[in-house]
Amino acid sequence: MLLKNKNAVVTGCNRGIGKEILETFSSNGANIFACVRNSDNNFINFTKELEKKFNNKIFIVDLDLSDTENIKNAANEILSKEKSIDILINNAGIIHTALFQMTSEVKLKEIFDINFFSQTVFTQYILKSMIRKRTGSILYISSSSAIDSNKGRSAYSSAKAALITQAKTLSKEVGPYNIRINVIAPGLTDTDMMNQNTDKKIIEQVTSEISLKRIGLPNEIAKAALFLSSDYSSYITGQVLRVDGGM
Amino acid sequence: MSLDKYKKVFIESLSIDATKFSDQIKYNDIPEWDSIGHMTLISALEENFSITIDTDDIVDFSSFEVGKKILLKYGVKF
Repeated sequence: MLLKNKNAVVTGCNRGIGKEILETFSSNGANIFACVRNSDNNFINFTKELEKKFNNKIFIVDLDLSDTENIKNAANEILSKEKSIDILINNAGIIHTALFQMTSEVKLKEIFDINFFSQTVFTQYILKSMIRKRTGSILYISSSSAIDSNKGRSAYSSAKAALITQAKTLSKEVGPYNIRINVIAPGLTDTDMMNQNTDKKIIEQVTSEISLKRIGLPNEIAKAALFLSSDYSSYITGQVLRVDGGM
Repeated sequence: MSLDKYKKVFIESLSIDATKFSDQIKYNDIPEWDSIGHMTLISALEENFSITIDTDDIVDFSSFEVGKKILLKYGVKF
């Protein structure tokens, strides 16, 4: 129970990596504000099952990163329910695949709005709770493409790279408050988002180049998130952890 | 009174010697009110007055007096 009695905010947790983080954190005793854009009965039932199984509390929060007012309302909703937030996982995001010359300005701005600017604003709100307590851990889910600069991912990779730079900067600014900021850069991970946006030939090619010869599982990213959010990583901040099977 | 409370938050969150506090205090006037102190001050104000201060106002919060005007916007009465 690495997160017993900790309060965590996790964005984008109704599928993929976020959903695994929700389950992994629940199994480790955290109470969770599960931020999702579209909650449905399946997700509601999923959280109820987790609560029953792990005896924790999960609050579903409507968070639409494309809507600035909604971001503020979501943060206020969280902070009005719980003043003491220990962990923030910035996981939500969208993917986009297009060659540089085929990336419209509109799309570029949309990717940056959701994958960078909105996460920044949301973090600014939640961070204040941690400053008050003088403790906390914030984790950004970036991407190995932010480091490897894969073809066709100029907008996505640039926004994810911006997150890394922001995280490193922020780690220095809030270190004196005992707040840690880290980044996970997952490689190819078996999620709907990845499968729907990555050509099968590319998946095969990349898999052949991965040391472990397979793509990652969402729960393998979640376990890294658990480590970086827990006190087991109490002296780690400003770091980017690649979870990519060796690339 | 909110003014007393406001002053108290300043003194306590910035760890200022109460006898040296002045209503004319400005951001970066004293070592205690640097950028780190500023975030501590904002967090303490939010907690004590049960408000959430927007980022633009955090940036504009440049003195004790300006801070009063900003807090008025959030319904704090002096």
